[in-house]
Amino acid sequence: MRLLIGFDLLDRQIVDRDGVPVGKVDDVELSEDARTLTALLTGQSALGGRFGGVLGRWITAAAGGAEPRRIPYDLVAKVDSAVHLAIKRELLAPPALEKWLDDHLIGRIPGADNAES
Amino acid sequence: MKRLLAVTLGILTAIGGFVDIGDIVSTSEAGARFGLSHTWVLLVGIVGICVYAEMAGRVTAVSKRPVYDLIRERLGPRVALVNLLGAYAITLLTLAAEIGGVALALQLLSGAPYLLWVPAVALVLWLALWRVKFSTLERIFGLAGLSLVVLLIATFKLGPDFTQMTKIAPPPGENWPTYFFVAIALFASAMTPYEVFFFTSGGVEERWTPRDLTLSRVNVFLGFPLGGLLAFGFLATSAAVYEPLGMRVDTLGQAVLPAGLAFGQVGLGLVILGVFAATFGAAMETSLSAGYTVAQYFGWSWGKYLRPRQAARFHTVVLVSILLAVAALLTTIDPVQLTEYMLIFSAIVLPLTYLPILVIANDRGYLGDKVNGRLANTLGVIYLFVILAAAVAAVPIMILTGMGG
Repeated sequence: MRLLIGFDLLDRQIVDRDGVPVGKVDDVELSEDARTLTALLTGQSALGGRFGGVLGRWITAAAGGAEPRRIPYDLVAKVDSAVHLAIKRELLAPPALEKWLDDHLIGRIPGADNAES
Repeated sequence: MKRLLAVTLGILTAIGGFVDIGDIVSTSEAGARFGLSHTWVLLVGIVGICVYAEMAGRVTAVSKRPVYDLIRERLGPRVALVNLLGAYAITLLTLAAEIGGVALALQLLSGAPYLLWVPAVALVLWLALWRVKFSTLERIFGLAGLSLVVLLIATFKLGPDFTQMTKIAPPPGENWPTYFFVAIALFASAMTPYEVFFFTSGGVEERWTPRDLTLSRVNVFLGFPLGGLLAFGFLATSAAVYEPLGMRVDTLGQAVLPAGLAFGQVGLGLVILGVFAATFGAAMETSLSAGYTVAQYFGWSWGKYLRPRQAARFHTVVLVSILLAVAALLTTIDPVQLTEYMLIFSAIVLPLTYLPILVIANDRGYLGDKVNGRLANTLGVIYLFVILAAAVAAVPIMILTGMGG
């Protein structure tokens, strides 16, 4: 399948095999010879890098300086209105900000583990 | 019954757009000053939001993605960030106004000053969003908001001058710029962007699939006209009572009074219940939308269908937004006036929201054979020009008239 990186991949939503959001395709990683796509990069620092300038540094700083998460392109099952991964998102490292907020704020509020139905 | 309850998402979304606290007062004020001569604006607004909400609902049902998710894909991260900042500002201002509005409704019932009610309202709001199921919230507040129908019955009892409905001109003693300022404000409130964000995110929360296309359309074509009709109720009852007296409306108490004049305490009780439900519903709509837009821009996990720990960033944005809204209200700023400032941000956000929806609704990559037909595209393009004209005119007219004064 031919994909245009700029049109079909960048800024598209990545979801896991159950459709739960994982992140946006904030940037991509190419092989040394730039002929193949090796990984998707997601996280504010990847987005900040694409913005550049002061605004880019702010966006990166808002992520607490965490490195972008790297998702090997082999894990992509299908690309349509979203980028579907073949695995559950629990198998990937959690985003740093999500984990910090879970540990220090949201996870401490009673009822944080309750599913809706 | 289940089928019937399935349209409460559309009703709640529309009520949050058409009869939130700012609209209740400004629509009543429009009735008091200009009679029914703005009826056409409500009609134009209802058709416009129906056209775009139908497109947005269709995109969501088929692609299973809420529209805000797709805006960044089409506009790119920079322009989408401008949209995000504007949309978030509108949503936050409206949220603050709605919390104030619920507190004002409680003040009408209890007599205790509204500022005392603000923290309590915010706490109940947050608890509801934290613990109660999305569909339950939607049903309670969507249906309770329908008690505003009493206004429509009151309209016929009070009998405003219905001949003004066909006039597109200010009545004697009022000028054109102010007439247009009010028209733009009414139009912008009908098309507020958080309506489509909330509606389509709600569709995802309810797990719409392409089979729910009809459900989405029924929601749109019942919900939004109904919301518009309730707004007309405020316009018409105020026109009937205040216009002949030459009185102005600037408080919630004045806006609900005509129902009391028509049906005594029962009428007043029903309309206050309706205002309470509508403003609380709008507060839920805006606080969730604040979380939806930020989370969907950055690609975070979001939504009430996940456990809060699985969407910690989303829940943090909702919580922080509610706290910011309370902080804004505690400065004793007038909650009713807050939504008027929304117009400035609407001018930026409206075109940047509706253009990508129109583009995506024509993209076969997302929608296959469910792309826009000729009617949806014709209306979509016409409305895009109306939105642009309103956006360009909004700020100069606002300055010219001193916010419609």
